[in-house]
Amino acid sequence: MLEVTNLSVSYGGLRALTDVTLSVKEGQFVTVVGPNGAGKSTLFKTISGIVPAASGEITFMGQNLFGLPPARRAHLGIAHVPEGRQVFKTLTVRENLEMGAYPKAGQDAWHHTLDRIHTLFPILAERALQLAGTLSGGEQQMVAIGRGLACAPRLLMLDEPSMGLAPAVADTIFERVSQIHKEDGVTILLVEQRVAEALELSDHGYVLETGRMVLDGPYETLLRDDRVRKSYLGLS
Amino acid sequence: MDLEVLIENVLNALAAGITIGCIYGLMCIGLGLIFGIMRIVNFAQGEFLMLGMFSSLYLVTGGGILAFLGPYIGPFVGALLAGPIVFAGGALVHKLLIARVSGLRTTGSLDEGHFGQLVVTLGISLILQNGGLILFGSTPQTVRTPLASSAIEVGPIYGDATVFLNKARLIACAIAIIVAVALYLLLEYTRMGKALRAAADNPTAATYMGIDTDKTYRFAFALGSGITAVAGGLMAVYLSFGPFVGLDYVIIMYSGVVLGGMGSILGAFWGGLTVGFVQQCSALVLPPQLQNAAIFVVFLMIVLLRPQGLFGRSAERA
Repeated sequence: MLEVTNLSVSYGGLRALTDVTLSVKEGQFVTVVGPNGAGKSTLFKTISGIVPAASGEITFMGQNLFGLPPARRAHLGIAHVPEGRQVFKTLTVRENLEMGAYPKAGQDAWHHTLDRIHTLFPILAERALQLAGTLSGGEQQMVAIGRGLACAPRLLMLDEPSMGLAPAVADTIFERVSQIHKEDGVTILLVEQRVAEALELSDHGYVLETGRMVLDGPYETLLRDDRVRKSYLGLS
Repeated sequence: MDLEVLIENVLNALAAGITIGCIYGLMCIGLGLIFGIMRIVNFAQGEFLMLGMFSSLYLVTGGGILAFLGPYIGPFVGALLAGPIVFAGGALVHKLLIARVSGLRTTGSLDEGHFGQLVVTLGISLILQNGGLILFGSTPQTVRTPLASSAIEVGPIYGDATVFLNKARLIACAIAIIVAVALYLLLEYTRMGKALRAAADNPTAATYMGIDTDKTYRFAFALGSGITAVAGGLMAVYLSFGPFVGLDYVIIMYSGVVLGGMGSILGAFWGGLTVGFVQQCSALVLPPQLQNAAIFVVFLMIVLLRPQGLFGRSAERA
């Protein structure tokens, strides 16, 4: 579905990604883990077209993404839930979700998806008319994920959804992401620093360090790898 | 006798304040969209007002294409048509110049593009003023309508005290309110209006949602220019104007927008109304030269008491 091939990106004069290759197949749950500054967010921003690539190729459903204006990606069915939530603070919760449904697929499915979002995150129904900027961090993350779901995506990209959240809230978020994958059949590409929880959910994991993919494989393989066990899971 | 004169003067000042205030309100909405919502500093807004006046003038008078509508309807249709003309101009200015110093391109930069906008729009303002001087000449103009010299008399209310409502201003005021309400509904309830507010709030996230922020910003800028131009066209029926008329109004527009509260269309309208009201009422006690000073005294007092403006809302979590 999504194929990233030999991607290199320079960001602010520095090489952020070198020769990165990643593949997400329809229906998969793929996780990219790695330390701060490894280039995880840069990878997402490049897929979304906000950051230009130096070389390589990204295709989605066989279509080359580099020729497209950044805003077209949502219309193809790629939803990007950005790092740090980035909700529209001056819009109400409902308006935030409506903006998620901006592409045609989202508009057509609006009533269905809104019900679904409210089932996953009941608090968003209660807060529908409140400005998103007045919500707590966890609620804002729910708005951000709901907004991503509202476009009826084929691929949902989540950039560190647990960042800055209390552990209990982060657990809820992980549970909902897993539900979205299993019950709605949405393909998921997740970037996460909470490695254990993230890998547990996924079919396939990638380890990104200082801009290079150092390791990849299915969950079981990664769990058996010494480096992953030591550096990310704190096991020996 | 003295009391009657006083009451008459006060009532007439109030009436003038409200009618002119509504037109100022519309004028401020245009800048409210560009500066208050999209956060683009635009010093050429006064010149868009001026272009609105001249567009209306050339449409209506001297064998203009609206001459057939006659002096009663023509000037008001001309004012409304000035909107699309300046809208197109605004879109062009945005595409060629403003887009380079605003929107996604400057998101996250140190000044959010404001320095660039300041210099660019100040330059556009100077070009339009002096270009206007070459094209239109320096003779004061006005869009003549017989309605400007006739009034509806209300009263006598107290003794001989009568309120005179100038018909031209009254119609202009009604049109201003209708256009303002239409714009408010457009921004608040349509998909396009919401996309516009989303793009202004967070251009990067809006792009992730599939909103073409560049086009959205262009539409907002053009719409803001066009709205102010309609207000200009409406003012042209009761005001004499030249190429430099924008200078008088750009500061009034900024004070109206800030007074009403940044980011609120409704606020911009009330801010403009307040400014117009204060300006007209100050004429009761102050010489005309001090009318603008009165505006700023009231402006400073309100901003002192309510720094977020009359309708400003703080969306940041405390």
